[in-house]
Amino acid sequence: MQVTLSALLAKASAEFVGLQSRADFEAAKARYVGPNGELTALMKQMGAVPKEQRPALGKLINEAKGQLQGQLDAALARISSAEIAAQLGAAIDPTLPSPDAGPGTSHPLTLVREEMCRILRKAGFAVVEGPEVETEYYCFDALSTPADHPARDAQDTFYFPAQARFGNISKKVAGEKYLLRTHTSSVQIRTMLKGKPPLRVVSPGRVYRRDTSDATHSANFHQIECLYVDKNVTVRDLKALLDYIFASLLGKNTKTRFRPHYFGYTEPSFEVDLSAQHLPKVNKEWIEIGGCGMVDPAVFEGVGYDSTVWTGYAFGMGLERLAMLMYGIDDIRYFYQNDLRFLKQFT
Amino acid sequence: MKISLNWLKQYVALDASVDELKRAITLLGFEVEGVINTGLPPLVQVVVGEIKTREKHPNADKLSICTVDVGLAQGGVRTIVCGAPNCDVGNRVPVALPGAILPGDFKIKESKIRGQQSSGMLCAADELGLASQSSGLLLLAADAPIGVALNEIMPEGDTVFDLEVTPNRPDALSHIGMARELAAWFRRPVKFPPTTFRGITNEILRPDILASVRVEAPEDCPLYFGLGLTGVKVGPSPAWLQERLQAVGLRPINNLVDVGNYVMLELGQPLHIFDAKKIKGQQLVVRRAVEGEKLCTLDGKERILSDRMVVIADSAQPLVIAGLMGGANAEVEAQTTDIVIEAACFRPQSIRGTAKRLGLASDSSYRFERGVDPHGTVAAAYRAVDLIQATAGGTVVGPACLVGGDQAWAREIIVSPDYIRERLGFYISDEEMRGALEALNLIIVAAVARPPAVDWTVKIPSYRTDLDRPIDLVEEVLRIYGTDRVPPALAVGPALADGDDDPIAIFNRQVTAYLVGQRFHEVVNYTLRSRQELATWVSDTAAAELALANPFVDDQSHLRPTLVLGLLAALKLNQSRGVPATQLFETGRVFMELNGTVQEYLGAAFLLCHNPKERSWLARSAPDFYTVKQHLMILAQQAGIDWASAELRPISGAGWGWQEGHAAVAGESSIGWSVCGGLLDLTMVRAAGVEGTVWAGMLAILPEKLTSSAGHRRYQPFSLFPTVLRDLALVVAAARPAEEVRRALLGIAQASTGAAFAIEAVEIFDVYRGQGLPEGKKSLGFSLSFRSQERTLTDDEVNAVFTKIQQQIVADGSITVRA
Repeated sequence: MQVTLSALLAKASAEFVGLQSRADFEAAKARYVGPNGELTALMKQMGAVPKEQRPALGKLINEAKGQLQGQLDAALARISSAEIAAQLGAAIDPTLPSPDAGPGTSHPLTLVREEMCRILRKAGFAVVEGPEVETEYYCFDALSTPADHPARDAQDTFYFPAQARFGNISKKVAGEKYLLRTHTSSVQIRTMLKGKPPLRVVSPGRVYRRDTSDATHSANFHQIECLYVDKNVTVRDLKALLDYIFASLLGKNTKTRFRPHYFGYTEPSFEVDLSAQHLPKVNKEWIEIGGCGMVDPAVFEGVGYDSTVWTGYAFGMGLERLAMLMYGIDDIRYFYQNDLRFLKQFT
Repeated sequence: MKISLNWLKQYVALDASVDELKRAITLLGFEVEGVINTGLPPLVQVVVGEIKTREKHPNADKLSICTVDVGLAQGGVRTIVCGAPNCDVGNRVPVALPGAILPGDFKIKESKIRGQQSSGMLCAADELGLASQSSGLLLLAADAPIGVALNEIMPEGDTVFDLEVTPNRPDALSHIGMARELAAWFRRPVKFPPTTFRGITNEILRPDILASVRVEAPEDCPLYFGLGLTGVKVGPSPAWLQERLQAVGLRPINNLVDVGNYVMLELGQPLHIFDAKKIKGQQLVVRRAVEGEKLCTLDGKERILSDRMVVIADSAQPLVIAGLMGGANAEVEAQTTDIVIEAACFRPQSIRGTAKRLGLASDSSYRFERGVDPHGTVAAAYRAVDLIQATAGGTVVGPACLVGGDQAWAREIIVSPDYIRERLGFYISDEEMRGALEALNLIIVAAVARPPAVDWTVKIPSYRTDLDRPIDLVEEVLRIYGTDRVPPALAVGPALADGDDDPIAIFNRQVTAYLVGQRFHEVVNYTLRSRQELATWVSDTAAAELALANPFVDDQSHLRPTLVLGLLAALKLNQSRGVPATQLFETGRVFMELNGTVQEYLGAAFLLCHNPKERSWLARSAPDFYTVKQHLMILAQQAGIDWASAELRPISGAGWGWQEGHAAVAGESSIGWSVCGGLLDLTMVRAAGVEGTVWAGMLAILPEKLTSSAGHRRYQPFSLFPTVLRDLALVVAAARPAEEVRRALLGIAQASTGAAFAIEAVEIFDVYRGQGLPEGKKSLGFSLSFRSQERTLTDDEVNAVFTKIQQQIVADGSITVRA
């Protein structure tokens, strides 16, 4: 029996070394330790062995079984690791580039708009929106623009033909013409007509001017405007808001200055200058950045607010201009060309 | 508008520096667009010298060594090296001595030039700041006194401010106007020019010069004043007058024309001067033009007039387009001796309309359009009489013809200093406010106590047409106090910010965040596109309905009905510049028409490009329709669209540039939203010059269909028991939408399971056409998962249901179960 076992073990170990696949392994395993395996057959002969020889023989068989199992485990480990190696393939070269696209990007105008909205949100201003196709009432009349003011001229404003109909843009005055809004101030009027004071709103959006496109002008551009209506709003409050906005946006060493100006819908009116010489490409002490003022009592009366009770301020500026200042961009047309070498620079 | 500093100084004492003046003008509310210095700036150690000898420099071809007499006080004769070609002996030239500082901070020192001592520099005009370039030394008069400072013999320099005056301030469109403003700022008095002529006293009546004026359009011309002079002598203006006009960019013509311009620039009142001999019938008529009437204006152009325009005519023909420009037929000429001065007021709207219709603008119309002070009109004519008599002689003759102008002017505003302080939000004392107002000639004529407050009655001068309410005086006080002195404060927000951002803003943020996260690049395109592009890519209807009435350029004449065209253009630009671009998106308004009515939609669109020319060491699979579908579904969900109820259906027919059979749409204009996407027409994309295969998708929704988020969702419990899966292959007509079959199967499965347990999902995992199937059929593989909320299901109960499902699904005969 011992001789038989040794021969069996020698045969098995020679066979196991050559096993290449999991199927071969399972077959080999069955041949020795399966129900019809050779070792199993030997074990079945135990019953025929005299009782006194059984312990010694049992030990021998168990040893052989243990050895066989050890060889099987080794073969299985070898096969498994070969399988994994085959699955893995060659080692990666970490210096090769990923073929996947890089990160997506937001447009710089979106970035500036959202940053302004975040800053204003902290001061309690909520975003309001209005249509880009407007009527003469919302764009001009309600903002005290005289009937023959040059801004209303077909020279400067895009109009639609008299028969044009816009289903979801309401007219205030029968027969008034549709146009492309020249400023986001029209949203202030819609907001005041729809809501009740006090109000703190910011309206970012696209506006249109009938103008030659060049490095600083564009047929459409974007504005952001704030409107605050409450009791006892003062010029000083307006200045405080602007100081807060620009210190938040451009850094604490940014200063603002008011210059008296004229707008039909504010009184007093100011142009806002910025002193921000730490920004790129800024070579002037004061840079004009926007217009503002205290809401004219006539505008309040026009939207049905009692101008002896309600006061307010409004402030507006161009987003392109702000983005150009922040990023040091010198041509407005880059915003609309969409060259990815430009767009990828801002996020 | 150009304002000369020297001229201003005639009316107000200004000793501030140019920078201080610029700041004052700016803070008064007039934007300074430019500052031009003319004439010689103040220079020290720059004197007149005479070149005594000239020798060639031994070490340089183009240099000369000169000895120059600069006067005994400056050390007599000096040796100076000079590079100018005209440093000839005997020339008197400007000499900058050591210690002089020339414009541009150029310091003159004793020096050696190529080994030769040079003690000073002979100067050209540009080196002195008199010209931008020059070709040789500035040659002075042969009798210029040697050794005398150059400033003493050269005309005084001037500074000219180029100002932008806002339309509400016509009173500032003159030197007197700006002098009033600066006088208020610096608290100095205004010195008005002395007038000697104060109306007709000699009573010489010469109706053969001007007999009468008739105003037939009084609403357009509230005031007209005509006055004759005889015996004037036309000639060049004196140097001082020419200098004033030249300083502000006007070309001197002759003494009469120049006086007219001078008075306009001084007082803001435009004048016109007629040659009286050219007035037929000696009567001036202010009337509307006859439709089609013609007039050849001074600039040599024939103007065709309309009946909305006002002219000054004689008995035969128009002579002047009122307020704009004179006709060549009444022009003052060299031999003119008798003249009529016109000083008038015209209605601003009338002048503006005429100027616009004729495409003509003049210094005169610029002022009339904004409004001139009727109370200064006649005075301006008197001022012109003084200046004409001083420069051209002549005698005033009667009758003086004044029509209109009898409107009394009295405007007062009642305001309390407390009101001003309340609007400003900071303290300015009553005295300071009074000082500011009165500096502007806004005189407090009465103060009525209304304890504890006081009401001031403020008298407004006639030229301040912009002031008529208390709020207007707040601005005046602040202007003079200084808008740069508004004290800082902390911005204060409300304790709680009420109101959420508009759903549009929230939607745009969500879409942008999603697509950026999906590696798209956001682009921004113009809203306006060309008619041709719309006709080609969208439809002729769109090209008709979306047109502007007055486009500025042909390629921006129509509203965009889609964002895809802009995305395609951006893709093309990047390809043409060799910049790889695969994924782009844009959000923005789009405009679509339905039955003749256009609606403004919110749009969000994206584009994916697969360009085989762009190589990669490791291939990735190209995008396909289902890539587009997934993005569209997520955009739709962000817009609050119930995607489960949306039916994507194939797009067929031309228009919008989709490739038939490879694009789909859900929703439609009539329900307020639509979603479409797929492959862009391969032929059109190629024709547009774009490389590769392009997929796109767009969502459009009416702004009013977006709603704020509906609050928080409630938690749905889910089963912790295992699923049981069954696969089922169904054979259907090849054209039948898979989703239709899936829903049929789901419906049957739901009915079959009843209340005992649930069909959790029916999903398609395989689509097969070809061998083994009849022609025109396809096989759809479905995976059905069953699960119970309460227990583990047994195979038997699931099998029973599964068998039932298989029996029912074939019931209508259109579906068979694949073996």
